[in-house]
Amino acid sequence: MHNIMPAIYGLNSLEKSMLSIIPEAVIILFAFIVLFITFFEKIAKSKNSYYLSLIGIAFSILYVVMLSGRNLTGFYGSVVFNGYDVFLFIAILLSGFLTVLVSKDYIENFDVPYPEYYSIILFGISAMMFLVSSNNLIMVFISLEFMSICAYILTGYIRGNTRSTEAALKYLILGTFASAFLIFGSVFIYAAVGHLNLNSIHTYLENISYVKHGSDLILNGISEYLSIGLLLFMIGLAFKMSLFPFHAWTPDAYDGAPTPITSFMATGIKIAAFAVFLRIYLLIYNYNVINFNDILWVLAVLSMTFGNIAAILSTNIKRLLAYSSIAQAGYILIGIIGGGFYGYSGTLFYLFAYIFMTAGAFAVVIIFENSDIASLDIKKYSGVGYKYPFISAAMAFFMLSLAGIPVTSGFMGKFYVFSAAVKSGYYWLVFIALLNSAFAAYYYIKVIVKMYMPDKEDSNVSCIAAEGKNYGIVNGNISEGIMLAIIICLFFTLIMGVYPQIFINFANYSAASLASL
Amino acid sequence: MAFFMKYILTILIFFPTVAVLILLPINKKNEGLLRNLATLLSLLEFIASYYLFIYFRPDTYKFQFVEKFNWIPSFGASYFLGIDGISLFLILLTTLLTFVSLLSSYRYIKDHVKEFVILMLLLETFMLGTFAALDILLFYVFWEFMLLPMYFIIGMWGTGKRIYSAVKFFLYTLAGSLIMLFGLIYIFIIHYQQTGNFTFNLIRLYNTSIPVNLQILLFIALFLGFAIKVPIFPFHTWLPDAHTEAPTAGSVILAGVLLKFGIYGFFRFAIPLLPNAAQILAPYIVVIGVIGILYGAFVSIVQKDLKRLVAFSSVSHMGFIMVGLFAFTAISINGAVYQLLNHGVDTGALFLFVGMIYERMHTRQIKDLGGIAKKAPILTVLFLTSVLASVGLPGLNGFIGEFLILIGSFRSYPVLTIIGTSGIIFAAVYLLWMFQRVMFQDPHDQTAPYNHHLESFDDMNLREIITVLPLIILMFLMGFYPDPFLDRIGPSVLHFLTMLNHHKIIYNAIKIKTGLSNA
Repeated sequence: MHNIMPAIYGLNSLEKSMLSIIPEAVIILFAFIVLFITFFEKIAKSKNSYYLSLIGIAFSILYVVMLSGRNLTGFYGSVVFNGYDVFLFIAILLSGFLTVLVSKDYIENFDVPYPEYYSIILFGISAMMFLVSSNNLIMVFISLEFMSICAYILTGYIRGNTRSTEAALKYLILGTFASAFLIFGSVFIYAAVGHLNLNSIHTYLENISYVKHGSDLILNGISEYLSIGLLLFMIGLAFKMSLFPFHAWTPDAYDGAPTPITSFMATGIKIAAFAVFLRIYLLIYNYNVINFNDILWVLAVLSMTFGNIAAILSTNIKRLLAYSSIAQAGYILIGIIGGGFYGYSGTLFYLFAYIFMTAGAFAVVIIFENSDIASLDIKKYSGVGYKYPFISAAMAFFMLSLAGIPVTSGFMGKFYVFSAAVKSGYYWLVFIALLNSAFAAYYYIKVIVKMYMPDKEDSNVSCIAAEGKNYGIVNGNISEGIMLAIIICLFFTLIMGVYPQIFINFANYSAASLASL
Repeated sequence: MAFFMKYILTILIFFPTVAVLILLPINKKNEGLLRNLATLLSLLEFIASYYLFIYFRPDTYKFQFVEKFNWIPSFGASYFLGIDGISLFLILLTTLLTFVSLLSSYRYIKDHVKEFVILMLLLETFMLGTFAALDILLFYVFWEFMLLPMYFIIGMWGTGKRIYSAVKFFLYTLAGSLIMLFGLIYIFIIHYQQTGNFTFNLIRLYNTSIPVNLQILLFIALFLGFAIKVPIFPFHTWLPDAHTEAPTAGSVILAGVLLKFGIYGFFRFAIPLLPNAAQILAPYIVVIGVIGILYGAFVSIVQKDLKRLVAFSSVSHMGFIMVGLFAFTAISINGAVYQLLNHGVDTGALFLFVGMIYERMHTRQIKDLGGIAKKAPILTVLFLTSVLASVGLPGLNGFIGEFLILIGSFRSYPVLTIIGTSGIIFAAVYLLWMFQRVMFQDPHDQTAPYNHHLESFDDMNLREIITVLPLIILMFLMGFYPDPFLDRIGPSVLHFLTMLNHHKIIYNAIKIKTGLSNA
């Protein structure tokens, strides 16, 4: 590994290592600055922490852009930085940026300290970035745990709220269980191959598989350990990706968590988990006796089908989006199963598109929730389309994007991964996925129906009917932060749907450096 | 002008979108201005689209007014537009009917006027785009997005079970479209495997050779997408609901343009892309078409709701067109395309009249109507003209289309054609009987309570006459002098048949060769 490291300005080893984690380091620096603000009570009350977080993320994006095109390796090969990371860092940082933007009004509704809140979000972002760039099984475990702990704290951040606390506890217990699977899997893999570095494992397995025909014995000796290890490892990650049999925490945690954090979990954590899974899958999983594509096939079909059925039955908008995210995970998985350069690029494209449609939908939910905490019931959306034309139109657009209707990024993403899977011969998988999309359109449309075509019996529960209360939105009091977040999401969702070529090029660049590893 | 002629299709497609941007800043409350401006802009669009007709060269089958730009090079998708004789007239029909339906809705649409005109104009953009696209991905984007404005129009301004109908319409057609998408992606990948190039260019994809067994499967996938849109007999259940509950303008567009997309899809995509499967499956599809003719006619006879009756008559008419198309003779396909235009004109007009009667009588139940003829002579005459055109009276347009279809298909399927012909007789039964009951029935009849709205029934005003006049003129023009239409349709149809026969010859040659080698 060390020989491919470029000599940059004659730096020594430690300095080179530091260079490879600059984007993460910037985020951590700002996280500490925000944290130190709490020492000074006067400043802590102001909005400094909010702006500081945004600036920190912006700086980090700047550093990612400056470092792009470099191939960096640090800390004895346990951290890498290449085109793949550039793409995903930007995705994660944008997801974090949107989360911070939508958080301000929401968190001020509650009596909780908020500099710490922003600080933990920043730590979470850095953990996701470490997870994406980690190239070592131990590093994967540490950053995954770091990320999860941030998520546990944020889920239960609203201390007085029993639902929030319950969600955090459930998430913590199940999450720890999943981490145990992950570390157990790592142990088995290490026992089988004797390496922790992903590249070393890759090289080792490749060498074995070249001499496979001559020496079946070598492979036989390790294949049981390796299979068990990979299986357990996959379960640990599938939990974070919220794939079907390991999804149980998702609806509760998404529902109970503060809505900006739900958005963060649905976008950031999911992307980071998919990113690291894709990297490891490509390096290790292909060289094994078990065909892991078949297992993923089953997981994808189950996730899509279960997610869609459960979403149809849910009446709470956050739960609906939670189940929808399980189904979306199934669609994303199709790109990985499809495989090849085309499939990996499609997966990355879909992940990028997925951030904006999901974060946008949650931003609209937050606007309605800020005005009335009880408005999570879809019935409450009855008739809002005429009252608040812009945000309702935005919500309708995000719903259509999630449903995969053309002119949105969701369609292009689905088209990309589905054609990749057809290309690799997974006809039935794509067929099932398309039927699922048709099926799923029902509940996305349900939200639009409520917004634009109110029934008579609904009108007494809608936001409109209860005019007397103080609805933030009625007074035209939507904060700039959320509006900006919605506009960013709309922009990307539309552009990726109408003229996706720039983003495809970006995803191709990223997938190319992934495949060259 | 040169610029206009060079990019005429793009300008036509996106002019309604520009019109939407013009309308957006106008205050919601200013409904008169919104309506008038939208109608005026759609009239402008229609006049502009007439240039296509003037400059269209009838002596070639090749695509004209072609525009091609790179869109998504990674998928080989391009912004590729062009029209032949068939899409030419369908585009003209679309621009005309959009204008007509905007003009027709002055009285019907009372609330959310701004949203309504915006959705109608957006719908126009996507309908025109679907007819002009020669790139499969571009086609699909236009095709599927088109559902949305229609869904909103039914759901927001419909009557009765509007939400149920709108959601059913949306999900039913979406399911079909997605299965069709599967077929299209498959063909795209097969072409890639054969040539190593990603392309969605329709003309290049025509040359993909696909094994016959696979063709049949893919044809079924495409068939589902298009058949639901047509709709052909077993897949028609969304149509009566959507038509009945939609506002008049929605029904006109739905019957006049949206139903055409299914047939157009068969003509442009399904049959030329999968020619052997189309030929193998044609007899079955003709049988389904004949069943559709009879089923639509029988069900129309017993309808109690006026609008539902007209809706079911569409199922019957679409059966005729399917028979004409899948008979694969030059005359029958010419007839099918001609009948496609006729159906848009006739049924569009019928829905307009049904809408006018509903606005005045506040009911669509045939038994509650009656005695209108005495009150409204102009309405009666014009309504009768469209009913007769739909029945197929010689001298009006319906006759030409049905005649061509029946002559043409008799050569391929004599027995089925004879059975199908009885559909014309049933059409006379249900339409004329309906007309008799609605217009002449004694309103003081004991079977139903007297409808007091009849007292204040006023005849058509100038706006309504202007609304239907273009359609009435077209009925006579297309009935007496079909040449300008058939001249332009003809070359495209002949080319379509040449392509089909070419594949048939190759297929037969392969069959003979393999047969010989087996022997």
